[in-house]
Amino acid sequence: MEAASATAPVAVWHPRAAAFAVEARAVERRIGLLFTATGVALVAAMGVLGLLMRLTQATVIGLSPAWFYRLMTLHGGGMITGTLLAMMGALWYVLNATVPLRTGRVLVSYTLTVAGALGVLVATLIGGFGAGWTFLPPLPFYPAGQWPLWSESLFLVGLLLIGVGFFVYCLDVLEQTTTRYGGLVRTLGWHFLRGRDAEAPPPQAIAATVVAIDGLLSMAAGTAIIAGLLSRTYDAKVGFDALVAKNLVYFFGHSIANLVIYLAAGALYVVLPRYAGRPYKTTKVFVAGWAGSLVFIATAYSHHLYMDFVQPTWAQVISEIASYGAVIPVAVITIYSMTMLIWGSRYRWTLASTLLYVGLAGWAIGGTGAVIDSLIPINFRLHNTVWVVAHFHTYLMLTVVLWALAFLAHLLERDAERAPARGARSAAVVLLLVGGYGLTGTWFLEGVLGVPRRYAIQPPGTSGYSLVGSAFALVFALGFAAVLAALAPLARTAWARRRELRLAGRGAATGLPARAGPPLATPGQLAFGAAVCVVCLAAFFPQIVHSSEASIRYHHLDHAAQFLLGTVLGLLLGSLPAVSARLGERSSSGLATAIGATTLMLLLMVPRFYEPLDRHPVAHGLYHVAMAALGLVTGLAASRLTPLGGRLAALLSVGTALMFAAAMKGG
Amino acid sequence: MSVHYGDPQIAIGAVFAGLALVFGSAFLVIGIQAGSDVGFQRVHDVAYWLRKRWLALLVVIGVLVIGITLFDLPYASGGAAGRTVVKVTGGQFFWSLRPSRVPAGTRVRFDATSVDVNHGFGLYDPHGHLIGSVQAMPGYTNKLDLTLSEAGTYEIRCLEYCGVNHSTMESTFTVTRR
Repeated sequence: MEAASATAPVAVWHPRAAAFAVEARAVERRIGLLFTATGVALVAAMGVLGLLMRLTQATVIGLSPAWFYRLMTLHGGGMITGTLLAMMGALWYVLNATVPLRTGRVLVSYTLTVAGALGVLVATLIGGFGAGWTFLPPLPFYPAGQWPLWSESLFLVGLLLIGVGFFVYCLDVLEQTTTRYGGLVRTLGWHFLRGRDAEAPPPQAIAATVVAIDGLLSMAAGTAIIAGLLSRTYDAKVGFDALVAKNLVYFFGHSIANLVIYLAAGALYVVLPRYAGRPYKTTKVFVAGWAGSLVFIATAYSHHLYMDFVQPTWAQVISEIASYGAVIPVAVITIYSMTMLIWGSRYRWTLASTLLYVGLAGWAIGGTGAVIDSLIPINFRLHNTVWVVAHFHTYLMLTVVLWALAFLAHLLERDAERAPARGARSAAVVLLLVGGYGLTGTWFLEGVLGVPRRYAIQPPGTSGYSLVGSAFALVFALGFAAVLAALAPLARTAWARRRELRLAGRGAATGLPARAGPPLATPGQLAFGAAVCVVCLAAFFPQIVHSSEASIRYHHLDHAAQFLLGTVLGLLLGSLPAVSARLGERSSSGLATAIGATTLMLLLMVPRFYEPLDRHPVAHGLYHVAMAALGLVTGLAASRLTPLGGRLAALLSVGTALMFAAAMKGG
Repeated sequence: MSVHYGDPQIAIGAVFAGLALVFGSAFLVIGIQAGSDVGFQRVHDVAYWLRKRWLALLVVIGVLVIGITLFDLPYASGGAAGRTVVKVTGGQFFWSLRPSRVPAGTRVRFDATSVDVNHGFGLYDPHGHLIGSVQAMPGYTNKLDLTLSEAGTYEIRCLEYCGVNHSTMESTFTVTRR
């Protein structure tokens, strides 16, 4: 349920929605429109690239393999970014009405993400980078004459910016929801689940918090591996442990792609009920389901490593269980419950509500294809065939992309106070469904056939499937264009009414400061921090430092321990009232400093910088002190965030250092 | 050599098509019913009763299916005694197999690794059916056990994107008649 207070109904919504729907203010609608419109534009451009690739596989056009893979890299990275932006905007739009978020923070997130996307665009189209958006190490450094070092670096910086943009978004969501509802456990609804609280936070707040936690964890992994790859560009001695690096890449890449649909689910819980005229409330099953999702989203990624037989078998089995487990909350509390709201509701069919509804089917069908592939013996026969392409396109094209269009349509229908005509709506949706399922159908067939994915040149006898697939892709593109054409008059009306809407949308100020107390407050917490510092002092003992020089990995672990010492010390100092008062309320600069200091620590932690110091004990010692100093800065900066945000930011900073160390070895 | 539909992929595809059809039909029915007017309390009561059973069904299916798969994991275990070890090395953009031929019925252990980037060792039988795959990673050796009972030329394709000539990284492995 959105909130207790409700306002006048919007003409295109269900009349009963007036009883529970909260009218969005101008700031929510603007942020929602900015993000969804940018996302949809990016998706449209990337879709054209996808069509060019399919036409190449059909031998209708003759892109060279080099260009095919440039476009493939851009298509993958651009699609994830476009859909991510659209869904970040959609969730922000619904969440800000109940949990005030920082407008400045979300705009920083937008800027970083768009800047990152531009970096990826230049790196691929001009620089020729074509290692795939999943950039499996060490492929970026084996270009086979196809891309220069600068394009690889620019691609990684672009991806890092996108990741940091999402990190900033997630941290703000987590800080504000946990402040609003009184801590993490309450925000996730666990007190309600145990009967301690009479009421639980609304569904969108729980979903957003789960997404934020998993988003922060996966972005930490992404930062570690991307920083590692970046350091390889200026230090040839840096090498990678292929297995650990692959785990980190997929923890980052799979999770971010997966989280897009969970972001969308959070928005769906608010928007779809407006057309069904029935509120969606938090129940104990809902809370339990999202608790499961919290774990499953973070652990399912390693099904990408099923065919890496050296991955421990227990990890493979956990991944299989998590991949199946992730289906249960989705099937029971999202897809099933949404259809329950719709059943017999005199559902208001507009363009937005129709796209929302048909998108649910894409999640069910694409998810089925995914869960089949997540069974290890079946994956043995389907791994990296186009079956994978088929199932993820089913829930990305036929769920996420449709929902991106739906949320954009929802905002425009609301502002224009009207929906596109029924004929235009039906034609557009039919074209999207026929084109989309036709295209993914050809991929499912090719998957059964054993056609490998990511082939610029298809195996003999299979280009016919690509030809049929291209025809269906064109039909989908027509449907996409028809949706945009149907929305154009609404956008014009909304633009003409912008002043009136702005006046009508004025409401309470957003971006309320969320800070409340130091990160380490109780005597127990302070004692724990002090104990960690004492233990980490060992990282400076000459014997420990000398022993760690047995391998790059151990040496980097020693650096990580020094950084940990500094970070915890920073948190302790930042928690002291005198120091805290002196530092003041610097939430934004604190976050920027924590991210910057951590990244700098990673980029400096390479043999090129510390090996020449081996012969100079004092300089070498100072280098280790610098690691701790960067940790100190990180800890002090993190202490400017909310107690939970600060602790988490510090923990993730140290986590990136540890993951970085684990993935690195001598080149 | 071209690829062809093969078991068990056809069965997998048929199960998926059946489930997709069921879900598609369910959404069609729900979409049609969405226009009717049913009291929410009635929907609530029936749907919650049904939801418990839907949850139980998914859990039961999950336990059964995952339980069964645990008996058919493709991961090699134990030593190579009684097996012919074939050293598989992938590199941009070639496959090297030593030995490159074995007699039919041989229990083979493929030791797959890479000299540069990640590759995917995908093995297609003489009929063009994908019979399994394993990753070839730099710095690691993945062990895949298979018994190749049918004589003929097996094709190897790369199943992990490895660079500009990924789609032409092919080789063959011969199984001779006994």
